[in-house]
Amino acid sequence: MLNRLPSDISALLEARADGHSLPAGLYTREDVFEADIDVFFHKHWICVGLDCDVPEPGDATVVDIGKTSLILLRDDDGEIRVLHNVCRHRGSRLLDAGKTIVSKLVCPYHTWTYELTGELAYAPHMGKDLDKQCHSLKSVNFKSIGGLIYVCLSDNPPEDIANLEQTLIERLAPYDIRNAKIAHQTDVIEDGNWKLTMENNRECYHCSANHPELCVSFVDLDFGFDPETLSPEDRQQAEEHFRLYDERTRAWEADGFPSAAVEQLVDCATNFRIQRLIIAGAGESQTHDATAASSKLLGQMTRKDLGDTHLWGHNSWNHFMGDHAVVAIVIPLSAGRTLVRTKWLVHKDAVEGKDYDFDKLTEVWIATTDQDADLVARSHAGALDPAYQPGPYSRFSETNLDKFAIWYIDRMRAHGY
Amino acid sequence: MGIEFTQIQRVHADIWDPERDEMLVCVDVHQETHDVRSFTFASVEGKCFKFDAGQYFLFDFPTGSDGEARCYSISSSPHRGNAFTVTVKRVPGGKVSNWLHDNMVPGMTVKGQGPLGHFIRPKVAGTKLLLLSGGSGITPVMSITRDLADSCEPADIVFLHAARTPLDLIFRSELSCLAARMKGLRLQFLPETVVGERAWPGLTGRISSEFLKLAVPDIAERIVMCCGPAPFMAAARSITAALGVPKSNYIEESFDAAVIDEPGLDVEAQPAGKTHQVEFAKQKRTLEVPFDQTVLTAAKRGSVRLPSSCSNGMCGTCKSKLVSGSVEMNHNGGIRQREIDAGMFLPCCSKPLSDLVIDR
Repeated sequence: MLNRLPSDISALLEARADGHSLPAGLYTREDVFEADIDVFFHKHWICVGLDCDVPEPGDATVVDIGKTSLILLRDDDGEIRVLHNVCRHRGSRLLDAGKTIVSKLVCPYHTWTYELTGELAYAPHMGKDLDKQCHSLKSVNFKSIGGLIYVCLSDNPPEDIANLEQTLIERLAPYDIRNAKIAHQTDVIEDGNWKLTMENNRECYHCSANHPELCVSFVDLDFGFDPETLSPEDRQQAEEHFRLYDERTRAWEADGFPSAAVEQLVDCATNFRIQRLIIAGAGESQTHDATAASSKLLGQMTRKDLGDTHLWGHNSWNHFMGDHAVVAIVIPLSAGRTLVRTKWLVHKDAVEGKDYDFDKLTEVWIATTDQDADLVARSHAGALDPAYQPGPYSRFSETNLDKFAIWYIDRMRAHGY
Repeated sequence: MGIEFTQIQRVHADIWDPERDEMLVCVDVHQETHDVRSFTFASVEGKCFKFDAGQYFLFDFPTGSDGEARCYSISSSPHRGNAFTVTVKRVPGGKVSNWLHDNMVPGMTVKGQGPLGHFIRPKVAGTKLLLLSGGSGITPVMSITRDLADSCEPADIVFLHAARTPLDLIFRSELSCLAARMKGLRLQFLPETVVGERAWPGLTGRISSEFLKLAVPDIAERIVMCCGPAPFMAAARSITAALGVPKSNYIEESFDAAVIDEPGLDVEAQPAGKTHQVEFAKQKRTLEVPFDQTVLTAAKRGSVRLPSSCSNGMCGTCKSKLVSGSVEMNHNGGIRQREIDAGMFLPCCSKPLSDLVIDR
């Protein structure tokens, strides 16, 4: 089946004990990091940005994934394009990191000039016999799904993205994320392996101890609890909460808003989970008092009581609420460093200070992201410690971590490790 | 200097025949403003001129081997028949206007043909006029005003003259004197800026609907006679129409060969030989750039370094910030409208329409 010998990473994959966190080397070794980039960031669909990162023709932004640099842009016809940021002359980078406006893509080295479609338009001093058609910028497989841009750097992208696509298009339609506005963006570099970043996001076991701001609106019980450890009073509250879930989900769906959980977490290539979650307290938004931060609701939303449509991918997490959305994209930088890029979206016409309160909009996830960065750094430092030994995941509140580990090992093996 | 004015004592002088006569002699040169001079011509044969205020003469100036034909409106009064005056602004790079300023002196003879043209006020008693002029376009309407003053006809004239600065207001003091005497003459000067006269008491800027509404509230009842650079006349045409002046009451000077040189007011008419000062701010260099040359070509010839590649407005390599001035740009997709809106331009495909300052 495989055209390569099992690597010494295979031994690490073999060593993973059921229900336990991963062997240290999978978090810390540079060769594993290289393999992860190859398998999970080149051969799977990853979220790299949003349509509204490039709202107007000529807007371009550069996203670097490992050694690959991508140009995400909007062309003159208003279409999104994703191109490799590599000149077809001698390979120079065309654009610098970050956002810019372009009319043509011009290589700064020898001014080879490309149309925004990627076609080579002009190559000075190369002779009339240069075949321009053979020297277009390389394009990348991508999909804009409900305004989120997924790319796959492989020529054989996993087909089961179709399930995500089908689910997401319907659920995100009312939010019109494609036409939203990015009100704020932060880049936080966590001192930890990307899998620790993702694991941290997939459980809320740590929430009550670490995220006072988030816990106003987020219900940690949603991601599992051990009924035995709850006091009778808390257990009654938990049972009441899940009864309420059933009731709310039925009511939302009756109103035409799909809400029940859809999961594709194991035995698949494309890893995602989506569910409409109840927002605690005032029930409107992830803010300090759980009321909306923007009076102008997203897209065609007319209600603030439609909870939080949360979405996971293997390199992103998202929360779509009535008044705003938070989109986080995870990009590994090295075995022990991970970029978490968070974007706060509001209605495209919402005006800061008039329609929305910037601090109220951003403070919960700025605080939560910083707290998570600390937690991930602690985890990674621990994984580097010779005393580290994989420990058991909670079968109540960390089941999704176990699924993530199973999926991770399966996908590694599927790609020859 | 030996000019014989015996004819001035004529009793029954012959009339200048537009079909046959052509030799004129310069009898006076007068400095009107810092760059405008009036040149007065008489018939070599002492003939008398009959013309209507608003008409022009076609001259054949010996500027080169073949000579250069130019039309200039008469600025003097038709009531003074022994000589007529044209008033010419010196234009940097302007071949004929510079030649006139540098060479024309009393005693010099030139060929001339005229009077010509139909920019003539309606000869109906009690007609209310708005004389609207920009820059050196003042000459025919000055002639009309002098005509009305000399004829002692009852007049109802608003004289609205726009210029770059107060120092560029041609005939300013004479018009003020006339307005003090003529009961029906109301003056409005509109300099674009107050450069040269900081205590300018009036408004500044370009003609606009708002300004005309205030300056000439009864504009809709007036015959508008307009002369100036093409964009000035285009603006005047649309503004007055919007303010209710019927097309039939709007008369503009439009003799084909007439050139009204006014860089500050003119963004379209570009006479041959015209140049503009193009300053490259960072390199502290200023070049004279001919109107028909791209900024990049001029920069290359003047050894000013600009990054560039395709030279035809496609790649955008030369994209630069235009700090001031305006250009005619014919790009090929190398720049976006919102970049243009933000003050950027492509020197490789842009020709200057005015003096420029570039952040390079």
